[in-house]
Order: sequence, then C-alpha cells, then structure tokens
Amino acid sequence: MLIPHPLLGLRDAQEFTYLGDASLLNRPDPVAPGAEAAFCDYVFLRDNPAGVHRELWFHEQGDRSWLVVTRNTVTHEILSAELASDVKAGAAQ
Amino acid sequence: MTDLLPVTAMGDSAPRSESFGPLTLSENAGLALASLALRQGQDAPTPFGLTLPDVARAVTSGELGAFWTGRGQWMIEAEGKAESDFAAALKAEAPGCSVTEQTDGFVVFEVVSEAGTAPLEALMSKLVNIDPKTLGPGCCTRTGLEHMTVFLVRRSETRLAVIGMRSLAGSLWHALSQAAHRLEY
Repeated sequence: MLIPHPLLGLRDAQEFTYLGDASLLNRPDPVAPGAEAAFCDYVFLRDNPAGVHRELWFHEQGDRSWLVVTRNTVTHEILSAELASDVKAGAAQ
Repeated sequence: MTDLLPVTAMGDSAPRSESFGPLTLSENAGLALASLALRQGQDAPTPFGLTLPDVARAVTSGELGAFWTGRGQWMIEAEGKAESDFAAALKAEAPGCSVTEQTDGFVVFEVVSEAGTAPLEALMSKLVNIDPKTLGPGCCTRTGLEHMTVFLVRRSETRLAVIGMRSLAGSLWHALSQAAHRLEY
C-alpha cells in the first residue's frame, strides 16, 4: 500500500505506523460542563465504519509527520492524505 | 589516571573503509551533526550563510552542509568538526532556534561509486524502497533500511551518504557491505 504524503509523494505504508480514528484530533474542552462524559466518549468510543474512514498515520521512518489519511476500509483505496498539523490549524481558524 | 582510547562508531581505532568492486564504503567519523528546528512562527535563519533547503533537498557550501529532515527541521553537517562542540557554534548562528547535538547519535557511511551511477543505484534498489531516479544529486530522504531508519543524502551522481543510528552502526555496515558484496557477482 502506498500513501500519498503531501510533501514527499508516494511512500510505502511500511514506513508508517497507524494510530486510528482521526477524531482523536478533536479533544474535548476539559473545563466545559459535561467534560467527564465527553472525555469518556473521546477515550473509549470509536466508529468502526465499513467504508470511508479518516485515520491518523505517523511517518515514523520518514519526516515524522502525522497525516490524516482518508481510506476506504473495504477496498483499501486511499482517497486523500493531509498533514495533521494543517488539519488542526484549519480547524482552529 | 585511566587511559581512554577513542574508538569510532564501529569500535575501531580508525574509520573503516572497504571496497566491493566499483563501490567503496567508508565511515565518515569526522562529520559533525546538529539538528536545527524552528519554533512556532519563526523564520528560517541562515546559519554560517547557508540557505536552509526546501523539502527533501540538501545543500552544501564548502565544509558545511544542511539537509531537510521534516517541516521546519534540518540537520546541519560540518566536515572534520566531529571533535568540536559544533552544536554550540550552530546555536550562536541560529538564535532562538532549537539546536541539538547529533554527532554522538548517528553514524555516517559514505558510499562512492567509481563506475558511474549504475552500481550506486543498484545498491539502493537492493536496500531501500525508494526509486533511485527520484533521489538525484542534492536530494535527501529518510526511510527504512532493514528495519533501521536512515537518512539518505545523495551528495552527487556517484556519492551517497547513509546516516543511521550510531548504536546500530555494526548492523548498518553489515547490511551495506553484504549488499555491495553480492553486487560484485
């Protein structure tokens, strides 16, 4: 499987390690009301879709960047890859 | 007082060098390394007058060089400065940036081909999952080599630096020398 790294081009998936659902980027506000329940969901609940899934991959044997890879879990087709730092910065704006 | 003997990363008293047909492998024990990382929102400095290179590129200027290691991160090299405090010299040139000594963390093997690019590219094809054609002179990348992580810096058409973890120097030398040896046949 090749992952289209936004900076480095196509790279072998063996260079990466997998973390999981990209919703981990959306950490709940720890001081908001209901934070305990929100953190409970954040830590323990994951969607496990058969189909398009956004997930975090770490380019460990590479530039050590975190990527958000959109992948179809049924066909393994990779639809896009973005730098997680860009995704996070975009969400903050 | 205890007599201490300086040894190279390979545990030898002198840097190791060995030839396999047209390929020569040699340990570059004199190369000083220091990493340079920008803080958030900081502009890239020009340490020692070096213009820090773009993504996956390497530059050299005399005894000094720099190669890209990640966004806003570079490794700065200085030939023959391994026994000096190069990180301190770099820190003075790049105020505000994060500078870390790396000489003691890495081992540098230079692979030189005396018969053009073909033997060097054949060696790369055997060892790393990178298309040698995309790693031309002035390019660098980090990738896996027999489960070890290495930096590859293509210094010229016929010269490649393989920079790996110092504690794995023996395994890296074994991987490189075995592959080069098998190319002789």
